[in-house]
Amino acid sequence: MPSSDACLEKPLDILLIDDDLDRAAAFRSALDKSRYQVSHLVSSRTALLKEVDRLKPDIIVIDIESPDRDILESLSTLSNFNPKPVVMFCDQEDTGLINQSVQSGVSAYVVGDVSSSRVRSILDAAVARFNQFQHLKQELDETKRKLDSRRLIDKAKHLLMTQKSLTEQQAFSSLRKMAMDSGQKMEDVARTLISLFNTLD
Amino acid sequence: MSTTDKAPLEIGFMPLTDSAPLVVAKELGFFAQCGIQVNLRRQNSWATLRDKLHAGVLDAAQMLAPMPLASRLGLGGTQRQFITPFVLSFNGNGITLSERLYQQVTSLNAMSCRAPAMPLPAESLRAVIRQRQKAGQSKLRFATVFPFSCHFYQLCDWLRSGQIVPGQDVDIQVIPPTSMVAALHEGSVDGYCVGGPWNAKAVRVGLGVTVVTSCDIWPDMPEKVLGMLQSWQTHNPDSCQALLQALDMACRWLALVPNRFEAARILCDEAYLHADLDVVAPALLGSCLVQESVAPRYIPAYNRFASSGETPDNCPNPGYAEWFLSHMQSSGQLQQNIAGQNIAAEVYRADLYQGVFADKLNA
Repeated sequence: MPSSDACLEKPLDILLIDDDLDRAAAFRSALDKSRYQVSHLVSSRTALLKEVDRLKPDIIVIDIESPDRDILESLSTLSNFNPKPVVMFCDQEDTGLINQSVQSGVSAYVVGDVSSSRVRSILDAAVARFNQFQHLKQELDETKRKLDSRRLIDKAKHLLMTQKSLTEQQAFSSLRKMAMDSGQKMEDVARTLISLFNTLD
Repeated sequence: MSTTDKAPLEIGFMPLTDSAPLVVAKELGFFAQCGIQVNLRRQNSWATLRDKLHAGVLDAAQMLAPMPLASRLGLGGTQRQFITPFVLSFNGNGITLSERLYQQVTSLNAMSCRAPAMPLPAESLRAVIRQRQKAGQSKLRFATVFPFSCHFYQLCDWLRSGQIVPGQDVDIQVIPPTSMVAALHEGSVDGYCVGGPWNAKAVRVGLGVTVVTSCDIWPDMPEKVLGMLQSWQTHNPDSCQALLQALDMACRWLALVPNRFEAARILCDEAYLHADLDVVAPALLGSCLVQESVAPRYIPAYNRFASSGETPDNCPNPGYAEWFLSHMQSSGQLQQNIAGQNIAAEVYRADLYQGVFADKLNA
């Protein structure tokens, strides 16, 4: 019978990219009866993006020495793929040093023995940290967006006050009216106004 | 020398033609002459090379010229304080189309496919793009080696020069250089922008046609730089200086064409590119293979290991960095406002280069 943990947590699909078949088998058996389901791919190098798109894995595990790492790097920058936690296998010798480089929260390293029960906890931690990081990032983006919009509105207001000799209250009201009349957000109206004033200068 | 300055240096490189300065400095004993021991470590991916530099597994490494800037800005990962005190190479890339795409381009544009006028204008691809749209076929697929690379920006600039919008009219994806020719063979990509020896390789096996080189797109911009952590330079100033002196010797040696063939022979070794002289030598000798059984183009600057001009140097001028930053912005990779920050000069450390080569620059 699976442990209660496995029942409670939702199953996660792992895409494993590894040319070392023995290691892949050991990894798979270490995750037997866990919430992780492993799809294995030998490094394809040309079809990886297609596979990621097809399998939509929750997490990707790859050998740190695989050339395919650069394809994974591009997932978040060049394509419309959702970011995913990436966990890497690496040799014993690089242990402490490589671990120092895990700061971004988007990756973790499995060092040395992949068959141990430690693997599961590393994956759990990587997923948890990744989710936390994504959450923080979303919050940051939202805060930044709010600040930007505030800044735009202030700038448009200031332009109206100086160019049209309006009081602050009048400038704000006219911005709000323009937004309501045109069915746009105030920040969009502000952006249009600013570029308009810039062209007139 | 400071205490940390003694151990052999671990230097990373990618098995590409323009790793020549590092390989030559090692094999011709320039590192030893400058008093340093160096172990060259071949890497398989730019991402892992970067992580190893950050973790201190490598002391310094050959890096794509835009990479230390991207890392400094935290693009595509953690923010890392990388710098470069030395430009390793200029130019060296090319855009290769699959034979099939090339045949379509020439026939739809009524060009002669055996007497090609090179460089091929990007706008000649538009006929193919239109035809595929009409037929409801998928977009043309191009590949490049890394998101923050000259290859990517050069491919985008070339496409835009023909009013083709990357991402909208054609897809661009990342594939490791070593897999490019296989991708062309499988038909999973229709063309790519890559460095040597991977353009020549596609031509030699009859799979591709190299239609434009990076010097046709951008004249004489840095392609690879010597990257390191700012903290490594601070703690190992003497090693860093010796490294620059040895690499300067290598780049000057590589300026002579007869030496280039010797460099090609060394690079072909199993420990480095593990490739045939047939595909490594041409670019180094200024020959751009175009198409199987068609005469190569003469591109003297195809691989340059110092800047052009009367007094060639390898100084990482911040002006180069500005060029890359503007490409990061125009491609949408860099959205944050960096006005008021001096990132170009913080990463492209012309001052470190000038400190070592003051005499040379004043000459």
